[in-house]
This record gives sequence, structure tokens and C-alpha cells, in this order.
Amino acid sequence: MNKVLISVLGSDQPGIMAKVASIINQHNGNIENLSQTLLDNVFGALLMANLAEDDSAEKLEQSLQDQTRGMNLYIRVHPWQAEPSDWHQNKPETQPYIVTAIGPDRQGLVAEIAGELFKHGVNISNIQAIFKGGKNPMDNLMVFEVDVPRAVVMNDLRDALDAIASRLELEINVQHRRIFESVSNILN
Amino acid sequence: MLTPKEIISTLQMVREENLDLRTVTVGINLTDCVSDDIETFKRKIYDKITRTAGQLVATCNRIERRYGIEVANKRISVSPIGVVGAPFNADQMVEIALTLDKAAIELGVDFVGGFSALVEKGMSRGDQALIEAIPQALTESQRVCSSVNVASTRAGLNMDAIKRMGVVIKQAAAMTADDDGLAAAKLVVFANIPQDVPFMAGAYLGIGEADAVVSVGVSGPGVVKAALERAMAEEDNMDLSRAADVIKQTAARLTRAGELVGREVAEILGLPFDIVDLSLAPTPNENDSVGEIFEAIGLPAIGAPGSTAFLAMLNDAVKKGGAFASSHVGGLSGAFIPVCEDLTIARSAAEGTLALEKLEAMTAVCSVGLDMIALPGDTSAEMLSAIIADEMAIGVINKKTTAARLIPAPGKQAGDHVVFGGLLGEGPVMAVNMGSQENRFVRLGGRIPAPIQSLVN
Repeated sequence: MNKVLISVLGSDQPGIMAKVASIINQHNGNIENLSQTLLDNVFGALLMANLAEDDSAEKLEQSLQDQTRGMNLYIRVHPWQAEPSDWHQNKPETQPYIVTAIGPDRQGLVAEIAGELFKHGVNISNIQAIFKGGKNPMDNLMVFEVDVPRAVVMNDLRDALDAIASRLELEINVQHRRIFESVSNILN
Repeated sequence: MLTPKEIISTLQMVREENLDLRTVTVGINLTDCVSDDIETFKRKIYDKITRTAGQLVATCNRIERRYGIEVANKRISVSPIGVVGAPFNADQMVEIALTLDKAAIELGVDFVGGFSALVEKGMSRGDQALIEAIPQALTESQRVCSSVNVASTRAGLNMDAIKRMGVVIKQAAAMTADDDGLAAAKLVVFANIPQDVPFMAGAYLGIGEADAVVSVGVSGPGVVKAALERAMAEEDNMDLSRAADVIKQTAARLTRAGELVGREVAEILGLPFDIVDLSLAPTPNENDSVGEIFEAIGLPAIGAPGSTAFLAMLNDAVKKGGAFASSHVGGLSGAFIPVCEDLTIARSAAEGTLALEKLEAMTAVCSVGLDMIALPGDTSAEMLSAIIADEMAIGVINKKTTAARLIPAPGKQAGDHVVFGGLLGEGPVMAVNMGSQENRFVRLGGRIPAPIQSLVN
């Protein structure tokens, strides 16, 4: 097993995936999993690949960087021993919640909320900002999809987040994920 | 991962558009409490109700926080007392009502329904005693609601019962004259009453139901209004087909939220989940009004020509959306048009856009009937009965539920203002175009036979 993690960042344009994938292929590597996202016009991708035994992360990184010159990408390749973190090894039973912060963007908003979630042993599984500016509070929304261990006392977590909300003049809601799913999906 | 649209639309429903669970209602069967000793019966029903629903309020509060949805009311419905309390006389029936009230107060629930009788064909001794007890029971209790089913499509109209109910309503209003006849606002007369309504004042637990069940009443006229307004503003090809779609989809989303909460409460309480009743039930607040939906679709006001057509579409689209979203939709499910409980409807009535006659026409296509209508205090019992008979006939012939909740406000004239408070709201006293107060037709009594079920035209 010769696993690597590849990160690709840069301005979005056609051909990034085509190029990256074909270079991995040239190295006889197999992409085992991948995910890409767009943040405004910024492209970001994370790929997990298995390389041939005689290949290495350094060689692949060099090829990727050489062959994508001109596309203005930041590409890194790291050797990866698939050792899950403590959290994943001893994952407690969790409940999925959605934390939404409604109100204007403020410096420190993510740090404060994420810090408080961490303090309570809560894992963030996804985070997204929906900032459109303007006065409509729903156009300035930060969404944290989180896994809350069963042992967490929800009222304590809510109180702590409420304190942040009043300090930053935001509204913070903590709702079980199921409510979003049940009103949005046909299948449930 | 949830999409931004899913997150925003859910948050909007809850935060800005007044999606609430109007009620989580625990239905409790009291047939196993039957006794011919009044003290034994009272003790048994009190024990069974407080034992079965002991955790209702605490559970609802917990679920409320978990999902960020308000559960506005927690309620109890019981087997019709006219049946399970059949051995007792009217005075004892009042004692039973006060026992129900005491249990409701002990549990911290908002209302208890089921001080009811089913008399569409005839009255048993227990039914007679219960009906006789209604005015005093509703005056002396705070949280008890009463309903009497006087007609059905299969049985026709029991005109003797309807005649009696005019008198009962008049008495109930007179006994609570200081509160504009409040007791009459807790009493509703039905045709084709469903067995599983979680909404008041009609909630009771039918005889065909389980020992104890959890039902949910979802409301949200504000959500429907906002969805329609958004579609009207943003979509180029808006027409009524599209509007019906928007209402249907919104109704489905509301129902889903209701079923989620209902099932969870049921699971925690260890009771079977019964039904979701998706009804656009207004409260006397801005953004929570059925009348506002009429304005959002472009009618000058509720009551203006076009209102019956739109109400028919609204009621049907709500039912379709609800039925798609849950396999167990029940109760009244549709659109309510109560006058005093709805800010916009009350305003239309006060301004004269909406008259009693137009309301009656609209009840042919709404999900309940003449609801929360304050009438002049001098409206005679016979006239009340005649109005009820008209309303019941609409239900019986059209195979639908209809109801009448009429409040002849003591000392008030048409155009005066009455205030009942809380969810019961306030509004104008509506004029009754009655000519003479006498009504020989009602006095004849007897039964109007059940309608033929063929030759449908």
C-alpha cells in the first residue's frame, strides 16, 4: 500500500481535474476517493490515491506541479498512513445537529463558535457560509453541521452559544438535523 | 450535506413565518373508567388522565428545543363524556367537567376536549344530561371544551338536538355575560365530526380509537402566505395552477414537520402515533392569518367575490399536500376561517366586506364551518338553531365536516366589538339578517332524513 493525499487549490477553470487525474494515471496511481468544492471562484479538491510501490509522494507532486504550470494551482501530495484519529477510533454515539448563526459577518465568529463546540466535544462535519450581504438577516448565515456526543447536555451547549450570540449580536440556533431533512426531502 | 436552500427555507418557516405546532393532543380513552358511582368515576378518570399524559408538557418542551419549533398548545382529548358518563345526571356531569379541568390544570395542558355528545340520530340519557350541563360546565371550568355532533351524512339532521343546542348556546353565553359570552366560544356543534380532531373546541377521542394516542395539529397560514408572496413576486409565469402547486408543496413541508414531532412525542410517551391534522388555523396575530393568504393571492379582501373559489382551491391543495406527506392525515385538515381568531377575517367582518351569508357560502368549501362568530346578544335561541341547521345541512349534503361555534354576545349589538382573549381572539359582532326572531321551522323538531347517496347532481 502506497497511499497519498493530494490537495489541489487554485482559480477555477476547465481542465483541472482532467489534468490532475491523467497525471496520477501516468504514475499508475488509482484514485480511491475524491471531493471537490468551490468557494466563490476558488477551486479546491482533496484526492486519496494509491500509487505503485516504486513511486512516491514527492515524485508525484513534482510531476503535478511541472505539468500544471501556467494553471496557477497550488498542489501538495502527502504520504498517508490511514490511521484514523482518536475521535474516529473511539467515536462516541452522536446526534446530528445544525447550528446556524444568523446576522452580519464578524471577525472571530467562526473561532468563537467552533471553539465553544470543541469545548463541548462536538465535531464539525461540515461548515458553510451563505453571505449575500444586505440587511436581510437570512442573507448572512453561517451553518455548522455538527455531531454532538450523547453525553453533552444540550442546555449547557445552548447556553454557551447564546452567550456568544449576545456578545456578537447574532442569533444562534441549535436544531436537530432531522427537522431540516423532514421538511426538505420527499423521501424520509 | 444540506443545501443552503434547504437550510434557509426551513429556518424561514420557523423564524419568520410562524410555523408552529398548534397542538400536541393526547387522546385518552375513558371507557375503562366507567362506573355508576360518581366519586369512583371521577377518581378513575383523573388518575388515568394524569397518569397517561403526565409527561406530555415536559416532553413537548424538550422536543420544542430540539427542533426549534414551538408547540403552542398541549391538549388532552377524551372519550365522549356523554357515553362514558351515561349513568350520571346534569349536576354530576358538571362535576365531571370540573374533574377534567382539574386534571388539565395539574398537567399544565391548555385545553381538555371531549365533554361531548354524539346525537346525530337521537339522544341517550347520558347525552341529555351532558347537554343540559354544558352551560354551567363551561362557565365554571377554565380549560374544558365541549362539542356536540348533531348531524351526519348517514343519519341526517337531528333537529330536536339542533333546537336544544340553540338554547344551550344562549344559556352558556348568558352565564358568562361579563366575558362577552366566553363559554359559548368553548362549545362547537358539528355535522360529521371526525373521531380524531386534535383542534379545539372539537377534540374528542372516538370510540374506534386506541387506549391512548398522540395526535398533532400543525398550523402555519403565515408559511403559506409567505410562500405564495415569494412565488408571486419572483416567478414570471405565475398562475393559479402554479399557486396550487406552491400551496401543496408548502402543506407537505408543514405536515412533515408535524409528523416528525408527533412521532417523537409519541415514542417518548410510549403511545401510538395517531394522525397529523394539517389545518391552516389562524391566531389573532399578524403573519398568522388565513385572511392574509386571500390578500396575497390578489383578492381585495377575504369575503370579496372570488373568495369562495380561492378557498376551495386552498382547502383542496392543503389536503393534497398533507395527504402526500403523511399516510396518517386526519382530523379536520384544511383551512379554517374563524372570525374572531383571525385578524384579517375579523377586520373584513368589521368593515362589512364579509357578511354572515358569505361566510356560510364559504363554509361549503372550507374544512370546518361557521367558526368563532359573535352575534348580537338578542339573537334568539331559535334563530341560533336555524343558523346551525343551515350549516349542518351543508355538511350533511356535501359529505363533509361542518361546524358552528356561535357566540351571542350578551348586551352587544351588530358592529360592537367583543374580546375573548388568547387564541380565541376578538372581533366584531356580526349582523344576522333574520327578519323575525321567531322560527316555526325549527320549532317543528324531528329529524331531517339522511340524503340519498345516488343521483349526485
